[in-house]
Amino acid sequence: MFEYLNQPEVIKTIVTIGSMTLFFIGLFGLLTQKHLIKFFISITIMETSLFLLFIGLTFKKDFIAPILTNGQTTFSNMNDPIPHAMILTAIVIGMAVLALGVSFAIEYYKLTGKTNIDEMTELRH
Amino acid sequence: MSSVLFVALPLLFGFATPILSRVGKNGVVYSSTLMQMFLLYLSFSLLSSSSSHVEIISIAPPLGISFILNKASLFFVALFTFLITIFSLYYISHRKIDAYENETKFFILLNMLLASSIGLVLSSDIFNIYVFFEIAGISAYILSAYKKTPSALEAGLKYLLTGAVASVFLIFAIALIYINIGSLNLAVISQNFETLPQNIKVLISILLLIGFGFKVEIFPLNFWVTDVYQGSTSLVNALFSGIVVKAYLFVFFHLLYLFLPSGEFSVFLIYLGAMSMLVAEIAGLKQSNLKRLFAYSSLGQVALIFTAFAMGNSDAIQGALFIVFAHSVAKMIIFFALTSIEKEYKSFDIKVLKELNSPFLRAIMLIAMLSLLGIPVFAGFVGKFLVLKALVVDGMLTALVIIVFASLLESIYYFKLAGFMFSKGEKKEVLTVSFTQKFVFTLLALLLIIVGIAPFLISSFLHEASTIMLDSKSYIDMLVGV
Repeated sequence: MFEYLNQPEVIKTIVTIGSMTLFFIGLFGLLTQKHLIKFFISITIMETSLFLLFIGLTFKKDFIAPILTNGQTTFSNMNDPIPHAMILTAIVIGMAVLALGVSFAIEYYKLTGKTNIDEMTELRH
Repeated sequence: MSSVLFVALPLLFGFATPILSRVGKNGVVYSSTLMQMFLLYLSFSLLSSSSSHVEIISIAPPLGISFILNKASLFFVALFTFLITIFSLYYISHRKIDAYENETKFFILLNMLLASSIGLVLSSDIFNIYVFFEIAGISAYILSAYKKTPSALEAGLKYLLTGAVASVFLIFAIALIYINIGSLNLAVISQNFETLPQNIKVLISILLLIGFGFKVEIFPLNFWVTDVYQGSTSLVNALFSGIVVKAYLFVFFHLLYLFLPSGEFSVFLIYLGAMSMLVAEIAGLKQSNLKRLFAYSSLGQVALIFTAFAMGNSDAIQGALFIVFAHSVAKMIIFFALTSIEKEYKSFDIKVLKELNSPFLRAIMLIAMLSLLGIPVFAGFVGKFLVLKALVVDGMLTALVIIVFASLLESIYYFKLAGFMFSKGEKKEVLTVSFTQKFVFTLLALLLIIVGIAPFLISSFLHEASTIMLDSKSYIDMLVGV
């Protein structure tokens, strides 16, 4: 019944629309939320949507992982490994930045009791 | 000799720092400084000899990773290693009176910052640029929040939030580039970029502009800069305005010249730069906090460099490189001097300059300010003159008027500061400057004056650097062969 969903074009359209929706949800959060942690969540949602978009658009259905195994002797019908490697790196970096940011937020909260971006007024005076 | 050393050695030292710190209390500081001096020696020995060369890491270019060291990137490498060596020398004397808590961590971050800034300048692969972009960012965030006071943490948070948003846009651009072109190599992207559909081209350009716009501190995206400068210590600010911004500026325009050699957006970028300069100088007028004021002056200078690079002809770029040099050196002097003032008088109000009782510091700061303003005899003049001349030649008279007007505004607050420094009145107790610090200050000030009096000493080199920076064809040939 849902066979038509398996066509590459349909998959790519769904991936594009879905990940762009996520991206704009994140952007909306970034522009409207004031809580520090919600800020980080918004940024992470934006990042993840881009990872989905990138992998979704470069992944080819029925193609295998680029590893010579199970009698496979030639590099044919294989998925491009570069996007995966890139996204892995990007996930790690994103995680590190997130951890650092949250630790700053915790330290800042401990010292001042503030979590709202608008209340951050140690500077500017 | 290999250009990988410029990235690998600081990274290695960064990671070896915990071991080195066991050698003794001063082990880390002295060994890092020695390593930086070695890199300085390497880069200067290359300055005299070099032609361009490619350093291939394991696999040949279109697939593998490579570093390109040509005159343009060498200029930045030499500048960065020089500044970081000066920074370490200054810190060695500064730590006797006011050492950072936990110097081991501080030097890890310092070396990471050096490695990633040089990596940004050298890489010829857009994903590597992303990785170095993030490493430079992360070390800068931590350096900014290093003191862990509420204001330092606030500065760090603001820096990190904007940096994280910038990296999201950058990775979006990289993903679109890879999906459409199928390569991460700058040469391959450059060859195919012109053939992309117009809307994708514009989308990628806008995403890159937003991603780098946060980092190169251009007008609508630079709201965080002054807060970060105010919250961080002055010592670290010297690194931010001397090294980090310059690395991002170089990479942004390097990508621009490679991807859009015909300069489709140059008029837009010139006006963007001129407007950011005007906005920064207007906002700078009413500041009463020294750090904040010099942050605005940094914004103005960076916007001027941005305008000059955006013109995309070799005379303007030569001027931009002169300003890069003059601004980095002058801001080093200013922020080092502010460090001494902060230590002694515990105040950042501009009125503290009235009570500054140290003829040496006053003279040195005056030299730096005059150079920033672009007064003849100082290095800043040469750069500003070349940029204004290029604007006239290009017929960009509106931008010229904006920039001259912004410079006038800049001169108002610099002369106000100079007036404060040389006003008669109550002086506080004498501020002593140690011998090493005097040496560092004098060296930097002499550099400004020597380059100002005799710009021909480096102008031929900078001219070659600017031509090479624009010559995307030879860059492509070098990377992927003919």
